[in-house]
Amino acid sequence: MPTTLNRDEKVTWKSATTAGQALLEELAYWGKDDYLERLAAYPEPVREEVLRLAAAIWPVSYALGYNFLDQVDKGLSCLAPEQLAEWVKATLDVYEREGLQAATRYLAEVEDNFLCRLRGEHGLSLTAATSRLLPYLRGLAGGELALAPAPVSWTDGETIFLPPEISLFKQSVANFTVYKLLATFQWGLLKLGTLTGDLAMFPGLAKELINRYGRQPAGEEPFPADFCSLFPAPRQAADLLMLLESQRVLRYLQQQLPGLMRDSLPVCRRLQSRRPAPASLRGPSRVLEAWSRWVLTGEGEAGEGLGPEEKKLYRQGLLLLAAAGEPGEDAAAPVQGGGAGQQEGGVGQSLELTAGLYQLLAELSGDYERIEPLLGILRPAAVQAVRLRRREERRQRFVEALGAFLPPEAATSATTDEEAGPVTGGAPPPPDSEGLAMLIGRSGEGDEEREPPAAEGAPEYLVIGGREFKLPEEIQALAREIQNDLGRVPPRYLSAAVGQAGGSAIRGPGPAAGSDGEESLVGPLVYDEWDYRRQGFRKDWCKLLPKELAPVQSTFVSSTLARYRGSLHQLKRQFEMMRLQQRHLRRQRDGDEIDFDAVVESLADAQAGVSPTEKLFIRLDRDERNIAAVFLVDMSSSTEGWVSLSLKEALALMCEALEVLGDRYAIYGFSGMRRQRSEFYHVKHLDEPYSDLVRGRLAAINPREYTRMGPPIRHVTKLLTAVDARVRLLITLSDGKPEDYDDYKGDYAIEDTRHALIEARAAGVHPFAITIDRQAQDYIPHLYGAVSYCFIDDVRKLPLRLPGIYRTLTT
Amino acid sequence: MPVQQERIEEHRITAEPYYLPRGEELEIARMVYAHRLPLLLKGPTGCGKTRFMEYLAWELERPLVTVSCHDDLTTGDLVGRYLIRGGEAVWMDGPLSLAVRAGAICYLDEIVEARKDTTVVIHPLADDRRELPVEKLGELLTAPPEFMLAVSYNPGYQSVLKDLKQSTRQRFVALEFDYPAAEFETEIVAREAGLDEGTARNLVKVATMTRGLKDSGLQEGASTRLLIHAGKLIKGGIAPRTACRVAVCAPLSDEPEMLAALEEIVSSVF
Repeated sequence: MPTTLNRDEKVTWKSATTAGQALLEELAYWGKDDYLERLAAYPEPVREEVLRLAAAIWPVSYALGYNFLDQVDKGLSCLAPEQLAEWVKATLDVYEREGLQAATRYLAEVEDNFLCRLRGEHGLSLTAATSRLLPYLRGLAGGELALAPAPVSWTDGETIFLPPEISLFKQSVANFTVYKLLATFQWGLLKLGTLTGDLAMFPGLAKELINRYGRQPAGEEPFPADFCSLFPAPRQAADLLMLLESQRVLRYLQQQLPGLMRDSLPVCRRLQSRRPAPASLRGPSRVLEAWSRWVLTGEGEAGEGLGPEEKKLYRQGLLLLAAAGEPGEDAAAPVQGGGAGQQEGGVGQSLELTAGLYQLLAELSGDYERIEPLLGILRPAAVQAVRLRRREERRQRFVEALGAFLPPEAATSATTDEEAGPVTGGAPPPPDSEGLAMLIGRSGEGDEEREPPAAEGAPEYLVIGGREFKLPEEIQALAREIQNDLGRVPPRYLSAAVGQAGGSAIRGPGPAAGSDGEESLVGPLVYDEWDYRRQGFRKDWCKLLPKELAPVQSTFVSSTLARYRGSLHQLKRQFEMMRLQQRHLRRQRDGDEIDFDAVVESLADAQAGVSPTEKLFIRLDRDERNIAAVFLVDMSSSTEGWVSLSLKEALALMCEALEVLGDRYAIYGFSGMRRQRSEFYHVKHLDEPYSDLVRGRLAAINPREYTRMGPPIRHVTKLLTAVDARVRLLITLSDGKPEDYDDYKGDYAIEDTRHALIEARAAGVHPFAITIDRQAQDYIPHLYGAVSYCFIDDVRKLPLRLPGIYRTLTT
Repeated sequence: MPVQQERIEEHRITAEPYYLPRGEELEIARMVYAHRLPLLLKGPTGCGKTRFMEYLAWELERPLVTVSCHDDLTTGDLVGRYLIRGGEAVWMDGPLSLAVRAGAICYLDEIVEARKDTTVVIHPLADDRRELPVEKLGELLTAPPEFMLAVSYNPGYQSVLKDLKQSTRQRFVALEFDYPAAEFETEIVAREAGLDEGTARNLVKVATMTRGLKDSGLQEGASTRLLIHAGKLIKGGIAPRTACRVAVCAPLSDEPEMLAALEEIVSSVF
């Protein structure tokens, strides 16, 4: 009521709303003159808005209301008056969720909190973090690891799963550190062998636990689930083990990556503050939670929030936790040391400590309720699945490769089968058993002393029925991998391979076998194909069909050029520089300038009595770039979508750049199905001008069938060798592995493609491969040679990368 | 020829260069020298090729004439030319003839950078003839037994224009160099930069990780040389993260994303 307002005060104005007026009176009543003064200073509409909002906060919390009035100046310094309402709404949300303190802090940090959110900076998505996180992770692991989103972070050994978004902090930099820590932690689990242990290696402990709790290990469960199943409460044991392993990994990271752990301290603190207070939990969970908090930050030795009895247990437990990963971890071991799983301080120690902690908790009554995961979870089954899948792939490849390598008579000379050999017992066949297939390390003189198969060392020879076969490098490598996994090459692998001996035709899926006989093909464009298992060519094996791409009327090229307008300008300039970069040729008979060095020299020569040279000029030579380049484009169905589009865009930009540069270039596409129909599409021949027709054909490039890379490479090699050029360049653009509908796949396809590239090199053509794939595959360096390939993981980068690659290649 | 005597003496290495052998390379090089064969050093940049040559020259007590090849290097630059001095023509030996005459070791660094027609002059020197025709002088220099020819190149270059011709490469005994194993590299970095072992090991850790990025778009990983640079900065009081950023990350790449990843690597170690 206006009448109650003290007229002696300086407030001589009124609010337009009743709520606002009530608030003014309230402030006046409590003698909050400074607030009134500040309010008076605002222009009318702003003042009304502030009053309206303050009045809205008042019934919720006086304290927050005063806080709001305290901070509203700061808020107005970075917010427009109409944004105030949004700000207050967000503040009230925080208040309801996290209480007065958090809301006050939220108000105070208007810049960090509210504005960031307005700008969309509140959280960091995994997608956004990947471009930075993935190379870091690959550098760390020294190999291939992929990233994928999942609610909780875990890993299956190939992929690290991380939360799709992290909004633990307001700044994305800090959230990135969270990602970095979570990912590195998962790497640590892999690195330290948490998931690759084996209960059989700790028989003493297993026996003790079986005696203690009277439970048998669930045979089918992968490690470490089998271990946990020995306890009456497997989940509690699993959480304890994870806790110990977390401690061990964090300790290892502390040692190996101290910078990361230093940066992560605020992250760990924040994670800790997000966890439920131990006091809110009951029974064993409460102590376990207290331990978890300690592992995270190393703080809280006293065990706040625990009862006296619990505190005692808690401290005893800390001693055990502190021991996790303590000895044996060699500080001098470089990051790539590996295999820390079995030694002292390894996972075995954590298993023992788990049993210790479990016993401590047994003194507490109450059931265990799972606590929040600390930094991630273990999924032994998924790891096992990946391991089994890889094992099966290896088995197939081994059997197939070895079967194809062995001559047919090997099958007849060997009596190996499951019954004849003592293979079922798992024991290696005795060396003297005639006719049994076995692998040996080295063809030794003292045959009697032969090691049992695959005991140690790399297997190099296969002995069947007294005959020795030296295994090719690929099969040896496979055998080594199998050995690393299983400890030996199981006899049944060998017998299966011997059973397939002489199967030089690859048994591929599909109806290929019947129609795709062994007959040679005839025609002008028939090419051999390399069969690595017989280390020889299949003569006249593939038929290449040159085809025309029907040009389409499309704005594709012009719209691409428009889209890359900015970059294109730069690109053209770079290529122009390459042209201008043409060196002044010194010591020419004629030219634009006098070569001063040559003149001085010839004068000196004349003085010395040597006949002086007449080559006294410098000439700008532009013809020196005598380069003929062929771009061979993968038009297989797998390029459908973005890949195909980016390929075309890349080619369009490349053409523009090359037109500036003046190098001769051709573009062909390839696809096809089976060896009888390897199609070769013409887009632009070497000496064909870059016309609208070419642009139309470029736009017409589209995904078709399969990727049989050998024939088009051989064909282009033939085309290029007929061209007179100083440098002949073959640039292939493809995605993933070569593969055809028939048996052209796997190692066979890789080896044939590789051989075709080797043939090209031998013919004086420089092959260069650009591969677009989500991640670099192991086979790529083998396929393309160590230096003549480039791998692009984000296809959208291709259009701008391709001209760059060409530039590096030819300068 | 007093002038030249002096000049070759400049190339003599008097103090023992620091070199940590990693395998049999020294034994092999000694044998190669004893049999008067030419030597080819292959390896990525900054992995110790030049240092190895310095050490070898010191051990063999031969002067080391190093030529850094570039694409304007002419035959005359290598062999020598007439100059006019006071109205008279004076012959000046090029580094190659200088080394041949003095029985020194001539080391052509990054030979692929040289023009192919220039590379050809070393052919007669690099086979059993061991001679260098100096056309201008009408002289045929025959290399004394002490002379050795060594060249180096980095096979990591992707330019098709920069490859060594078969006729050139098939004259050499080739030693392959790579970055030293972690413990060796730690020792080298610690020693060269005057760092404590812990910091040196961390630098090596960073380098190892960057080398793992080769398939992810980095052309080459951090070289030992870069690590030593970073180490010297750290030794001089620059914060390790800053030192790595300026001496390791920034020299390796210009791509913002790659730089970011490299800095993540650095900040996880330091």
